[in-house]
Amino acid sequence: MDGLLGRYRNLSVLVIVIMAQLVLLAVQVKNNQDVRLIRVWAVTAITPLARVLEGIRANTFGLAGEYWDLLEVRSRNQSMKSDLDRLKLENQYLKAELATAKRIEAMAGFVQRSPNKTIGARIIGTGAGMNSKVVFIDRGSTAGVLKGMAVITPDGIVGKVTASYPTGSQVMLITDPTFACGVLSDKSRIHGTARGQGNNQILIDYIQNEQTVLVGEIFYTSGDDRIFPKGLPVGPVRVARQGKLFKEIYVSPAAFDRGLEEVLVVLEGVHLPIPDLASQSSSSAEAKLMPPPEADAAAAPVDASPRPASGQGFATDADRLLQRYRSLGEQQGVSYGNGGRLPNFNAPAVPRTSAPKASAVAPSPNITPPSTPRAPNP
Amino acid sequence: MPPPDFNEANFLEGRRRKSASSSFRPIVFFLVPLFSVLLDIFLPRFVEPTRTLEFPLLITIYFSLMKRQPLAGIIIGAVIGLMQDSLSQQPLGMFGIVKTLVGFFAASVSLRFDVNNPALRFMLCAFFFLFHQFLYWVMVRALLGQIINVNGFDELARALLNSALALPLFLLLDKMRDKEA
Amino acid sequence: MFHLPRRSMREDFPDRLRFLRDESKFAQGKIAFLQYLSFAVLIFLAGGYWNLQIRNEELYSLKAERNRIKSLPIPAPRGKILDRDKRVIVDNHSSFSVLLSRESLKEEHLKPIADGLGLDYDELLAQLKRHRSRPKYQAMIIKEELTPAEIAFVESHRDPDTYPELELIHTERRVYPQNGFGAHLIGYVGEVSDSELNLADFAKYEQGDLVGKTGIERQYNDILTGIDGQRQVLVDNKGNERRILGLKPAVPGQSIELTIDLDIQAVMELAMDGRRGGAVALDPRNGEVLAMVSRPAFDLARLSSRDRNRQWRDIFTNPDKPLLNRAIQAQLAPGSTFKPIVALAALEGGEVTNDTNFNCGGGLNFFGRYFHCHNKRGHGATTLKKALAQSCDVYFYNVGNRIGIDQIARYAEVSGFGSRTGIDLPAEAEGTLPSSKWKVRTLREKWYGGDTVSVAIGQGYLTATPIQLAHAIGGLSIGGIWHTPHLLRNGNAPLKPARKTDLNLENVRLVIDGMCEVVNGWGTAANSRIPGVEMCGKTGTAQTASNEYQKARNLRLKDNAWFVAFAPRINPEIAVAVLFEEGEHGNLAGTIARDVVKAFFDKKSRRELSQSKSGDLTASLDSAPSPRSLN
Repeated sequence: MDGLLGRYRNLSVLVIVIMAQLVLLAVQVKNNQDVRLIRVWAVTAITPLARVLEGIRANTFGLAGEYWDLLEVRSRNQSMKSDLDRLKLENQYLKAELATAKRIEAMAGFVQRSPNKTIGARIIGTGAGMNSKVVFIDRGSTAGVLKGMAVITPDGIVGKVTASYPTGSQVMLITDPTFACGVLSDKSRIHGTARGQGNNQILIDYIQNEQTVLVGEIFYTSGDDRIFPKGLPVGPVRVARQGKLFKEIYVSPAAFDRGLEEVLVVLEGVHLPIPDLASQSSSSAEAKLMPPPEADAAAAPVDASPRPASGQGFATDADRLLQRYRSLGEQQGVSYGNGGRLPNFNAPAVPRTSAPKASAVAPSPNITPPSTPRAPNP
Repeated sequence: MPPPDFNEANFLEGRRRKSASSSFRPIVFFLVPLFSVLLDIFLPRFVEPTRTLEFPLLITIYFSLMKRQPLAGIIIGAVIGLMQDSLSQQPLGMFGIVKTLVGFFAASVSLRFDVNNPALRFMLCAFFFLFHQFLYWVMVRALLGQIINVNGFDELARALLNSALALPLFLLLDKMRDKEA
Repeated sequence: MFHLPRRSMREDFPDRLRFLRDESKFAQGKIAFLQYLSFAVLIFLAGGYWNLQIRNEELYSLKAERNRIKSLPIPAPRGKILDRDKRVIVDNHSSFSVLLSRESLKEEHLKPIADGLGLDYDELLAQLKRHRSRPKYQAMIIKEELTPAEIAFVESHRDPDTYPELELIHTERRVYPQNGFGAHLIGYVGEVSDSELNLADFAKYEQGDLVGKTGIERQYNDILTGIDGQRQVLVDNKGNERRILGLKPAVPGQSIELTIDLDIQAVMELAMDGRRGGAVALDPRNGEVLAMVSRPAFDLARLSSRDRNRQWRDIFTNPDKPLLNRAIQAQLAPGSTFKPIVALAALEGGEVTNDTNFNCGGGLNFFGRYFHCHNKRGHGATTLKKALAQSCDVYFYNVGNRIGIDQIARYAEVSGFGSRTGIDLPAEAEGTLPSSKWKVRTLREKWYGGDTVSVAIGQGYLTATPIQLAHAIGGLSIGGIWHTPHLLRNGNAPLKPARKTDLNLENVRLVIDGMCEVVNGWGTAANSRIPGVEMCGKTGTAQTASNEYQKARNLRLKDNAWFVAFAPRINPEIAVAVLFEEGEHGNLAGTIARDVVKAFFDKKSRRELSQSKSGDLTASLDSAPSPRSLN
């Protein structure tokens, strides 16, 4: 009603509001810092509502969905009796109940079986935005969920907590393009890094082209990333082919097969001691890094060169020659530098098959003490 | 300019009636935007295509149009936008600024249109949707240095879809108006 | 209804006030115009604000942001190091390194990063400190040669929410031979130190740059070092590279070819394994070093890491001094291996001839002190040939006493004692060549006759390095031409002119005959005989401290074993010097030289054979035809 006066006042308010938001943006962009407070407010306002909505949905919508299916059945099969419908509906209801019970039981069983200390959570929403591979769960810092924790289901890993608010947390799914974690194949025990692609497949990177990875092989977490405990399933290999630098292996995430509803947040991984809360700074509570897993084949540096990598680390001609002369000496019973038998460097080499040990022995820094008799001093 | 004749006076009278601001109970003001943002993150969990729906934008447009006060438009836009930002991974303020402007313009424009007319509502929604997408694209481009791939036809289709959704949604929301205003 | 205090259109049309408020068409247009104008002003203001505050304040501030221009270094690979047959001694392989961006660095992230990558936190802080002088936008490599586990750690933590300062890049990393093969010769690479930055050689380097520290890596650092490149990319906030803005490719360092022969080097490495000492083999005809070994050795790969962990420090504090290149830096009394030089000096001076005869009774008194022969029972009547073959000390006491220190010093100096040989390796030691003047100058003491007697058998004040001995004996073996030892084969550096002395070749032949007898006759190194090769040599068993000193401290120090050799007797092609510390007797060093020389001649016969057919020059290739051996 107060059109004309308002117009000028409005404009100044608009300018102020926009300026304020620009400053807000600038602060974040410049300092690469988040204004957490506003997010905390928003998430705290949203999560209780979402929890209610999710509760309603889980209890009614699922059943209603089944009912819709039944109606369809009835329209196609007119001879069906109405009480059969009712029975079926009841049956369906019971089945759904049973399925839920089974799922919850399975999860409870997993929780009991797994040495990891976990907390159950429900997914209450996805992140806003087009390609966002982020979900919200209904457990937050008050329930002990901290940034950096692993989120899993009994079927496989789901993602990691990227922000925790009092009543809810943001979880980056393993399909997010910035997600990565260390993985290990079950058959060949090859270490790699799984990376989200933004679609529903996961790329396993940094595996040499020479390594064999079969379709159907299952990748597990390796614990290398110090986020996920070792030994959780990631998913089965769908595609494995030669790539330019590394093998191209695609895995479909096992956790997403049955749709995500309940998840578990790993509060303490298997090989993690109880987090020392006192030492954590109160301002930015983050989960501590897990300790490294037991060392296995992952110790050798990754060779990114396209040439075929030698089996035992990187060697130059010098190493190969030294090895050749060493085995030649062993074949001839010569102890270099200790006198005794004179080496014949032009003798034909014994074929490798007859002396596989000689060529395969790891180079040792010292030759064993001389056993050949020395020439007596004149 | 000649003085208005009777008919014109009548017309203006009619418009004034229509241009009266609608009023809502505070609880509606609080819950509906919250719910819209909630739907924005909740629905895509089950039905992926619902990502194209922009409930927060539609709610912003609705309240701005109906309140007919740019000030209200600014505040509603800013709050809904910031809430949306909070739930996304981008810096706070991107949706905030865009929705603030949408709110302001929707409220300003509402003074000159019959906001109860379904056809006008449809057109305004489509216009503001495109305006919103364009402004957002500009913001991302200019302030964050990112490039979003935009397909004009897709955007147009989404604008029409959202506008179509807006009609029943707005009717639903009309029911929440305080009658005596 | 309202009266605006501001001047507006209303004042121009007071009677239209009502219509204006009721949006007459005319005013509507104006107001709309005003609206859009104010909006444009707003946008303009906002844009200006943004430009002023965010963009222009600091050009590089944008790079720090999640989705800005990122400049990533492309470290240039160092040149390869090849042997004389172009076989690779030091190679490169492509690997991953992790960069730490210092612009967006948050202090509290350092500890978990160090923990996750297995780095020493204090060392990481120290490294950051060392990089302080460099521009902030230059990231810092904190770990190289990442294992799959470390890659997994970096990849899973470099998202914008965790540690965005981490960055993974491709780098060419040096592949060194393992287990200390050629470690001293090659040398290691490390971050340039403050003291090095003050040197002219390193003027163009900055804190944090990698430079050669010792050996060939240091000597030919400028050739081996390439020019680092840089890649500027536009990255969005998801960490994806959107666009490459600028690419300056790295210029790799040049490869160098050494005179080293890997076949001989390998055998020498194996022969020296488990011992302490140094050995060097060179071609006396041109000074090309064929092999060089020092023990104990160190792991080059470990030392060349940027990660200065405990193992890195252990190498430096090891009491065995593994970093010492004993082949060029061990300055020790050469013992009897010096006798050929004394013999030559005596023959050239004319004081001694082939027929000169001294009686050895196991020891002799000089200047009131009794000097032992190593053979307590004595050698009896001894001529030059026998004295060299059996290393009779008494003979050389007499010779030394007869010719005097300055005559010895003159010929020793010509042979290269007491000064660096000039080999192209840093930090060569020069040893000590005593003379009467030297003693006055350095010790402010008169030279005594007893000093000469000690020096005549390679003890006393005299010290030499293995390279000096190989150089001296090699030059002697070809009749008095001493070529500067060198390792670079394809360098532009012209060969340094050889030192020549007019020697009586007959005298040289007499010395050589004596040395030939050492190995092939009834000599001290008969255990090192190689059938088919006439190797000439001289053993040396040198005390590390005088008998009196040992007695006084109740010590029983083991003697150092030395051996010098060249082969064949006529037109020598290889000269070898071996130092086997605490080897007790020279002939135990002789067997080391024997295997090295055998390797040289076996290879020579392979090469001759391969000139008719193509074949591998390396011993015992599975498919290669096996040439007849020399024995």
